Amino acid sequence: MDFLDVFNVTASGLTAQRVRLQAVASNMANARSTRTEAGGPYQRKMTVFEAREMGFGDALDQAMATVQVTDVVASDDPPVMHYDPGHPDADAEGYVAYPNVNILEEMVDMMTTSRIYEANTNVVRTTRNLADSAFQIGR
Amino acid sequence: MSAFLFDRLHNGLGRVLDLRYAQHGLTASNIANASTPGYRAKYVPFDRILAQAVGRGDELEMARSDSRHFMAPGSDPSRPEVVEIEPAPWEVDGNSVDPDKEVVRLTENSVMYDAVSTGLSQRIAMLRYAANNGSAA
Repeated sequence: MDFLDVFNVTASGLTAQRVRLQAVASNMANARSTRTEAGGPYQRKMTVFEAREMGFGDALDQAMATVQVTDVVASDDPPVMHYDPGHPDADAEGYVAYPNVNILEEMVDMMTTSRIYEANTNVVRTTRNLADSAFQIGR
Repeated sequence: MSAFLFDRLHNGLGRVLDLRYAQHGLTASNIANASTPGYRAKYVPFDRILAQAVGRGDELEMARSDSRHFMAPGSDPSRPEVVEIEPAPWEVDGNSVDPDKEVVRLTENSVMYDAVSTGLSQRIAMLRYAANNGSAA
Protein backbone atom coordinates (compact mmCIF):
# COMPACT_ATOMS: atom_id res chain seq x y z
CA MET A 1 0.00 0.00 0.00
CA ASP A 2 1.39 3.41 -0.81
CA PHE A 3 0.27 6.91 -0.02
CA LEU A 4 -1.59 7.20 -3.33
CA ASP A 5 -3.97 4.34 -2.38
CA VAL A 6 -5.12 6.27 0.67
CA PHE A 7 -5.55 9.42 -1.43
CA ASN A 8 -7.72 7.40 -3.86
CA VAL A 9 -9.94 6.12 -1.04
CA THR A 10 -10.36 9.62 0.38
CA ALA A 11 -11.01 11.13 -3.05
CA SER A 12 -13.80 8.59 -3.62
CA GLY A 13 -15.30 9.67 -0.28
CA LEU A 14 -15.15 13.35 -1.24
CA THR A 15 -16.78 12.66 -4.62
CA ALA A 16 -19.56 10.57 -3.07
CA GLN A 17 -20.43 13.28 -0.55
CA ARG A 18 -20.39 15.97 -3.23
CA VAL A 19 -22.84 13.98 -5.41
CA ARG A 20 -25.06 13.51 -2.36
CA LEU A 21 -24.94 17.23 -1.67
CA GLN A 22 -25.99 17.90 -5.28
CA ALA A 23 -29.00 15.61 -4.78
CA VAL A 24 -29.88 17.47 -1.57
CA ALA A 25 -29.55 20.82 -3.35
CA SER A 26 -31.79 19.62 -6.17
CA ASN A 27 -34.38 18.31 -3.68
CA MET A 28 -34.46 21.56 -1.72
CA ALA A 29 -34.61 23.73 -4.84
CA ASN A 30 -37.52 21.67 -6.18
CA ALA A 31 -39.38 21.21 -2.88
CA ARG A 32 -42.45 22.93 -4.39
CA SER A 33 -42.10 22.03 -8.11
CA THR A 34 -45.44 20.62 -9.23
CA ARG A 35 -44.44 20.12 -12.86
CA THR A 36 -41.62 18.08 -14.41
CA GLU A 37 -40.70 17.05 -17.95
CA ALA A 38 -41.82 13.51 -17.17
CA GLY A 39 -45.13 14.84 -15.84
CA GLY A 40 -46.38 15.01 -12.25
CA PRO A 41 -44.58 16.63 -9.30
CA TYR A 42 -40.83 16.45 -8.71
CA GLN A 43 -39.69 13.26 -7.00
CA ARG A 44 -37.04 13.26 -4.28
CA LYS A 45 -33.62 12.10 -5.55
CA MET A 46 -31.59 9.68 -3.46
CA THR A 47 -27.97 8.57 -3.97
CA VAL A 48 -26.96 4.90 -3.65
CA PHE A 49 -23.48 4.28 -2.22
CA GLU A 50 -21.52 1.07 -2.53
CA ALA A 51 -18.27 0.09 -0.81
CA ARG A 52 -15.74 -1.45 -3.21
CA GLU A 53 -12.95 -3.38 -1.50
CA MET A 54 -9.44 -2.93 -2.89
CA GLY A 55 -8.79 -6.39 -4.32
CA PHE A 56 -4.98 -6.38 -4.22
CA GLY A 57 -2.08 -6.32 -1.77
CA ASP A 58 -2.03 -8.11 1.58
CA ALA A 59 -4.90 -8.66 4.01
CA LEU A 60 -4.60 -5.15 5.50
CA ASP A 61 -4.82 -3.50 2.07
CA GLN A 62 -7.80 -5.61 1.06
CA ALA A 63 -9.68 -4.44 4.12
CA MET A 64 -9.63 -0.91 2.65
CA ALA A 65 -12.60 0.10 0.51
CA THR A 66 -13.38 3.00 -1.78
CA VAL A 67 -16.95 4.28 -2.04
CA GLN A 68 -18.77 4.59 -5.37
CA VAL A 69 -22.03 6.30 -6.19
CA THR A 70 -23.72 3.49 -8.13
CA ASP A 71 -27.07 5.14 -8.78
CA VAL A 72 -29.23 8.18 -8.19
CA VAL A 73 -32.81 6.99 -7.80
CA ALA A 74 -36.13 8.83 -7.43
CA SER A 75 -38.06 8.14 -4.25
CA ASP A 76 -41.40 6.39 -4.90
CA ASP A 77 -43.01 7.78 -1.75
CA PRO A 78 -46.44 9.20 -2.62
CA PRO A 79 -46.63 12.97 -3.31
CA VAL A 80 -47.87 15.25 -0.55
CA MET A 81 -51.48 16.34 -1.25
CA HIS A 82 -52.44 19.90 -0.28
CA TYR A 83 -55.87 21.46 -0.66
CA ASP A 84 -55.37 24.56 -2.84
CA PRO A 85 -58.23 24.85 -5.39
CA GLY A 86 -56.85 28.10 -6.89
CA HIS A 87 -53.58 26.43 -7.99
CA PRO A 88 -53.29 25.77 -11.77
CA ASP A 89 -52.23 22.13 -11.07
CA ALA A 90 -55.13 21.38 -8.69
CA ASP A 91 -57.12 18.21 -9.48
CA ALA A 92 -60.94 18.02 -9.76
CA GLU A 93 -61.31 17.97 -5.94
CA GLY A 94 -58.99 20.97 -5.54
CA TYR A 95 -55.92 19.00 -4.29
CA VAL A 96 -52.40 19.77 -5.56
CA ALA A 97 -49.73 17.02 -5.61
CA TYR A 98 -46.55 18.51 -4.13
CA PRO A 99 -43.13 16.74 -4.26
CA ASN A 100 -42.41 14.06 -1.65
CA VAL A 101 -39.56 16.19 -0.31
CA ASN A 102 -39.31 16.80 3.43
CA ILE A 103 -37.18 19.90 4.03
CA LEU A 104 -36.21 18.74 7.54
CA GLU A 105 -34.90 15.43 6.22
CA GLU A 106 -32.93 17.31 3.56
CA MET A 107 -31.41 19.64 6.17
CA VAL A 108 -30.28 16.65 8.27
CA ASP A 109 -28.83 15.03 5.12
CA MET A 110 -27.04 18.25 4.24
CA MET A 111 -25.45 18.56 7.69
CA THR A 112 -24.32 14.92 7.76
CA THR A 113 -22.91 15.26 4.25
CA SER A 114 -20.94 18.37 5.10
CA ARG A 115 -19.54 16.82 8.30
CA ILE A 116 -18.38 13.68 6.49
CA TYR A 117 -16.90 15.82 3.70
CA GLU A 118 -14.92 17.78 6.31
CA ALA A 119 -13.72 14.55 7.92
CA ASN A 120 -12.47 13.42 4.50
CA THR A 121 -10.53 16.66 3.95
CA ASN A 122 -9.03 16.06 7.39
CA VAL A 123 -7.81 12.66 6.18
CA VAL A 124 -6.18 14.28 3.14
CA ARG A 125 -4.25 16.66 5.40
CA THR A 126 -3.21 13.88 7.79
CA THR A 127 -2.06 11.64 4.93
CA ARG A 128 0.12 14.47 3.69
CA ASN A 129 1.60 14.96 7.16
CA LEU A 130 2.33 11.24 7.47
CA ALA A 131 4.07 11.24 4.09
CA ASP A 132 6.07 14.30 5.13
CA SER A 133 7.23 12.70 8.36
CA ALA A 134 8.10 9.48 6.54
CA PHE A 135 10.29 11.48 4.16
CA GLN A 136 12.03 13.08 7.16
CA ILE A 137 13.23 9.74 8.59
CA GLY A 138 17.01 9.77 8.86
CA ARG A 139 17.37 13.49 8.12
CA MET B 1 22.13 -6.38 6.52
CA SER B 2 24.09 -6.39 9.71
CA ALA B 3 22.08 -7.95 12.52
CA PHE B 4 24.02 -5.79 14.97
CA LEU B 5 23.41 -2.39 13.35
CA PHE B 6 19.87 -3.12 12.20
CA ASP B 7 18.71 -5.07 15.23
CA ARG B 8 15.27 -6.04 16.54
CA LEU B 9 14.54 -2.54 17.77
CA HIS B 10 15.35 -1.05 14.37
CA ASN B 11 13.22 -3.58 12.46
CA GLY B 12 10.50 -3.41 15.11
CA LEU B 13 10.19 0.36 14.65
CA GLY B 14 9.90 -0.13 10.90
CA ARG B 15 7.16 -2.69 11.40
CA VAL B 16 5.23 -0.42 13.73
CA LEU B 17 5.38 2.29 11.04
CA ASP B 18 3.86 -0.19 8.55
CA LEU B 19 1.08 -1.09 10.98
CA ARG B 20 0.35 2.55 11.83
CA TYR B 21 0.16 3.33 8.14
CA ALA B 22 -2.18 0.37 7.58
CA GLN B 23 -4.37 1.75 10.36
CA HIS B 24 -4.34 5.13 8.61
CA GLY B 25 -5.59 3.47 5.41
CA LEU B 26 -8.40 1.75 7.33
CA THR B 27 -9.46 5.04 8.94
CA ALA B 28 -9.45 6.72 5.51
CA SER B 29 -11.63 3.90 4.21
CA ASN B 30 -13.99 4.12 7.22
CA ILE B 31 -14.44 7.87 6.80
CA ALA B 32 -14.93 7.56 3.02
CA ASN B 33 -17.65 4.97 3.69
CA ALA B 34 -19.21 6.83 6.62
CA SER B 35 -22.61 6.76 4.89
CA THR B 36 -22.42 3.53 2.88
CA PRO B 37 -25.19 1.16 4.03
CA GLY B 38 -23.93 -2.13 5.45
CA TYR B 39 -20.28 -0.99 5.71
CA ARG B 40 -18.48 -2.17 8.89
CA ALA B 41 -15.80 0.07 10.41
CA LYS B 42 -12.42 -1.67 10.61
CA TYR B 43 -9.33 -1.12 12.72
CA VAL B 44 -6.01 -2.69 13.75
CA PRO B 45 -6.23 -3.80 17.41
CA PHE B 46 -2.97 -2.29 18.69
CA ASP B 47 -3.70 -3.08 22.35
CA ARG B 48 -4.13 -6.77 21.53
CA ILE B 49 -0.95 -6.79 19.41
CA LEU B 50 1.00 -5.20 22.28
CA ALA B 51 -0.41 -7.72 24.76
CA GLN B 52 0.62 -10.53 22.43
CA ALA B 53 4.09 -9.09 21.88
CA VAL B 54 4.65 -8.61 25.63
CA GLY B 55 3.32 -12.05 26.55
CA ARG B 56 5.25 -13.77 23.80
CA GLY B 57 8.04 -15.09 25.97
CA ASP B 58 5.70 -17.13 28.18
CA GLU B 59 3.44 -18.46 25.48
CA LEU B 60 4.02 -21.66 23.63
CA GLU B 61 3.92 -21.22 19.90
CA MET B 62 2.83 -23.94 17.55
CA ALA B 63 5.82 -25.76 16.10
CA ARG B 64 6.50 -25.01 12.42
CA SER B 65 8.59 -27.69 10.75
CA ASP B 66 8.10 -26.18 7.28
CA SER B 67 8.35 -22.55 6.21
CA ARG B 68 5.04 -22.93 4.35
CA HIS B 69 3.16 -23.72 7.59
CA PHE B 70 0.85 -21.00 8.76
CA MET B 71 1.24 -19.45 12.18
CA ALA B 72 -1.77 -19.82 14.45
CA PRO B 73 -4.16 -16.94 13.57
CA GLY B 74 -3.23 -13.71 15.26
CA SER B 75 0.03 -15.03 16.66
CA ASP B 76 2.20 -13.02 14.24
CA PRO B 77 2.20 -9.38 15.40
CA SER B 78 3.37 -8.18 11.98
CA ARG B 79 0.23 -9.59 10.32
CA PRO B 80 -2.59 -8.77 12.71
CA GLU B 81 -6.20 -9.57 12.04
CA VAL B 82 -8.31 -6.58 11.14
CA VAL B 83 -11.18 -6.14 13.59
CA GLU B 84 -14.64 -5.16 12.29
CA ILE B 85 -17.01 -3.19 14.50
CA GLU B 86 -20.56 -4.54 14.70
CA PRO B 87 -23.24 -1.90 14.07
CA ALA B 88 -25.21 -0.81 17.15
CA PRO B 89 -28.88 -1.98 17.24
CA TRP B 90 -30.13 1.52 16.38
CA GLU B 91 -27.97 1.76 13.23
CA VAL B 92 -30.79 0.80 10.86
CA ASP B 93 -28.60 0.95 7.72
CA GLY B 94 -26.09 -1.55 9.16
CA ASN B 95 -23.21 0.98 8.99
CA SER B 96 -20.98 0.94 12.07
CA VAL B 97 -18.80 4.00 11.31
CA ASP B 98 -18.79 6.63 14.05
CA PRO B 99 -17.26 9.73 12.37
CA ASP B 100 -16.24 11.27 15.73
CA LYS B 101 -14.36 8.17 16.83
CA GLU B 102 -12.72 7.90 13.41
CA VAL B 103 -11.44 11.48 13.51
CA VAL B 104 -10.01 10.86 17.00
CA ARG B 105 -8.40 7.61 15.81
CA LEU B 106 -6.99 9.48 12.80
CA THR B 107 -5.30 12.10 15.01
CA GLU B 108 -4.09 9.58 17.59
CA ASN B 109 -2.65 7.35 14.90
CA SER B 110 -0.89 10.28 13.23
CA VAL B 111 0.73 11.29 16.56
CA MET B 112 1.92 7.71 17.10
CA TYR B 113 3.26 7.55 13.53
CA ASP B 114 5.24 10.76 14.10
CA ALA B 115 6.53 9.45 17.43
CA VAL B 116 7.76 6.19 15.91
CA SER B 117 9.33 7.89 12.88
CA THR B 118 11.11 10.34 15.20
CA GLY B 119 12.38 7.36 17.21
CA LEU B 120 13.66 5.73 14.03
CA SER B 121 15.42 8.98 13.01
CA GLN B 122 17.08 9.21 16.43
CA ARG B 123 18.32 5.68 16.09
CA ILE B 124 19.74 6.37 12.64
CA ALA B 125 21.37 9.55 14.03
CA MET B 126 23.04 7.45 16.73
CA LEU B 127 24.40 5.01 14.15
CA ARG B 128 25.67 7.92 12.03
CA TYR B 129 27.33 9.49 15.09
CA ALA B 130 29.12 6.22 15.83
CA ALA B 131 30.06 5.73 12.17
CA ASN B 132 31.60 9.22 12.05
CA ASN B 133 33.91 8.57 15.02
CA GLY B 134 31.76 10.65 17.34
CA SER B 135 31.73 13.82 15.31
CA ALA B 136 28.36 15.33 14.63
CA ALA B 137 28.54 15.53 10.83
